[in-house]
Amino acid sequence: MTTTDTARPLLDIRGLRKNFGAVEILKGVDLSLRPKDVVSIIGSSGSGKTTLLRCVNLLEEFQGGDIILDGETIGYKTVGGKRVRLRDAELSRQRAMTGMVFQSFNLFPHLTAAGNVMLGLRKVKKLGKEEAFVIAEKWLNRVGLGARLEHYPSQLSGGQQQRVAIARALAMNPKLVLLDEVTSALDPELVQEVLTTIKSIADDGATLLIVTHEMRFAREVSSRIVFMEQGRIAEEGTPAEIFGEGRSQRLNEFLKSSRH
Amino acid sequence: MDAFLAQLWIARWPIFDGFLMTLGISAGAIVFGTILGCIVGIQLVFAPLWLRLPFRAYVDIMRGTPLLVLILAAFYIPAVLGLSLSAAHAGTLALGLFAGAHIGELLRGSLQAIPPGQIEAGRSIGLTFPQILANVLLPQALRISLPPWINTGVELIKGSSLLSMIGVGELLLKTQEVIGRNFMTIQFYVFAGVLYLVVNIALDLLGKSMERRLGARQ
Amino acid sequence: MNYTLHFGAVWASFDHLLGGLAIGLALAVAAVAVGTVLGLLSAFASVSKSRLLRGISGTYVLLIRNIPLLVLVLLVYFALPATGIRLDKYESFIGSLALYAGAYLTEVFRAGLLSVPKGIVEAGRAIGLTRMQTNLSVVMPVMLRNSLPSLGNTFIGMFKDSSIAAAIAIPELTFEARKINVDTFRVVETWTVASGLYIAACFTIAALLRRLERRFPKF
Repeated sequence: MTTTDTARPLLDIRGLRKNFGAVEILKGVDLSLRPKDVVSIIGSSGSGKTTLLRCVNLLEEFQGGDIILDGETIGYKTVGGKRVRLRDAELSRQRAMTGMVFQSFNLFPHLTAAGNVMLGLRKVKKLGKEEAFVIAEKWLNRVGLGARLEHYPSQLSGGQQQRVAIARALAMNPKLVLLDEVTSALDPELVQEVLTTIKSIADDGATLLIVTHEMRFAREVSSRIVFMEQGRIAEEGTPAEIFGEGRSQRLNEFLKSSRH
Repeated sequence: MDAFLAQLWIARWPIFDGFLMTLGISAGAIVFGTILGCIVGIQLVFAPLWLRLPFRAYVDIMRGTPLLVLILAAFYIPAVLGLSLSAAHAGTLALGLFAGAHIGELLRGSLQAIPPGQIEAGRSIGLTFPQILANVLLPQALRISLPPWINTGVELIKGSSLLSMIGVGELLLKTQEVIGRNFMTIQFYVFAGVLYLVVNIALDLLGKSMERRLGARQ
Repeated sequence: MNYTLHFGAVWASFDHLLGGLAIGLALAVAAVAVGTVLGLLSAFASVSKSRLLRGISGTYVLLIRNIPLLVLVLLVYFALPATGIRLDKYESFIGSLALYAGAYLTEVFRAGLLSVPKGIVEAGRAIGLTRMQTNLSVVMPVMLRNSLPSLGNTFIGMFKDSSIAAAIAIPELTFEARKINVDTFRVVETWTVASGLYIAACFTIAALLRRLERRFPKF
């Protein structure tokens, strides 16, 4: 552990605060990920875990604190002592450093599986069509959909769609992948194929920040578990610490209520 | 601006007459069109096929033909058939036939949106079909149709301007006559446009407030 | 009621009617093409964050939708020269009809924009597309596909409205029909054939549009 402890964190969230109007969603969150970490965030709905993920991908504005990704403070800069949101082009460049997989897949309905993966490669990475296709093919093969390159999202099952979404995120070669309840919208029989895919990219050494309700999966895949409650990180530890004996009363209650 | 106001003062009565004519023709057409539309709408949903077809044909012909063509046809055709119809009557007839088709189609949609269980419920308490129609179906269908019905009114007011082309002295023709005397083309066309705008926006607001009130009740 | 039908006089001028039909279609195509650009700009303005842009778009739609097309056509044709802008009658009519189409298409595209799921916009942003790139590569294709049926209906409406070009002596179908009507007094025949041509054209366009819609699956 000593060598990785001294390494610079890949993602460093410091005192993150976010509110919608008068409602405080995040009340000062500190979280740090080193390269190849797989961190799962658990907690009841409304605890702020999805919002935290969306802040990291700059899909939400936040009112306080810093998010530092690979040494770069993202989303905001300080001009004359005042905090200002970065310009759109800057935000887009920083977003491209992270990949995001959504609960509801959000595939582009007018593009094939390959087209979905290629769009970012072409428009953001400015790759040529052929080059982009080779990468798309590679990643779709990687998630087991090599035979579905030219299928439209409407022709794919939910599990297949989510795997395309994973390929779309990974093809951009992000430093960090954010996964937001990626199995919650799936029929039970399709959950496993997606979890297996995620497990295998974790084994390949990707850095993942996962919001999930799948406790067994979290326990299996994570290097660390974060338990959020009411906009704060309530507990943090290894899977053994979080799921093992001697956990706190409220964590115990949450785990009991989430098992059904 | 002063020159325009002076000319407007001179032309106030012709323009007022034209304005009234526009309102009168539109009102006549909406009344005629609504009565016709109710008949058409009910037939389109409930009539047997042989009777439904002619109504369907009527609606499709009216909706596939430009309003101007309907107006010109209504203006020229009656005379050769030996009917004497003033231009204003011919124009109102055309607008009414046009509105009848649109309102009929509207009512058809509304009637078909009512769950069939409503008819069954009516039958089960012993109502005859005309009673069901009058007491169960039409009250609901008319309520749904009200906002687009108001919109048909706006279309008729706009469409009535086409009657200027068959010499009916409505707002646009009167405006053109005024322009012919004082050559203040922009000012008077814009003024006519504003009058149409005011009436139509008023109707539109009325429709929206009705929509809100009906929406709140459901 | 001693009127016997003689279609001969109308058939003799049938090529004029067909020529008029073609002009009407061309006017509608040109107006809807320009109107689509206006409608897209105005629709994006109507959902923008800027109050000013929303106001401009809203005012445009409100004004145009509540003024008779004929008034707009006459205003543009007769009044514009007074401001120094000279357009021939075709340009002026296409301009007026495009303004008209643009207002209707604003509402079509606005509904289309609101129907684009927020999630796929976020997905576009998440892979690093800029707002502009997301609009062009994600929002526009989905919105246009969803708007296709209404776009088609607007086109049919504008084709029918092209009859108003007769008011400024553009020799489209209605103008030609009126001419035949006055020349031959075959009144019933003329208007039956003219109306039949309009209806046939409308139905053909509608059928073509349905085929086009089937070509592109609905999302």
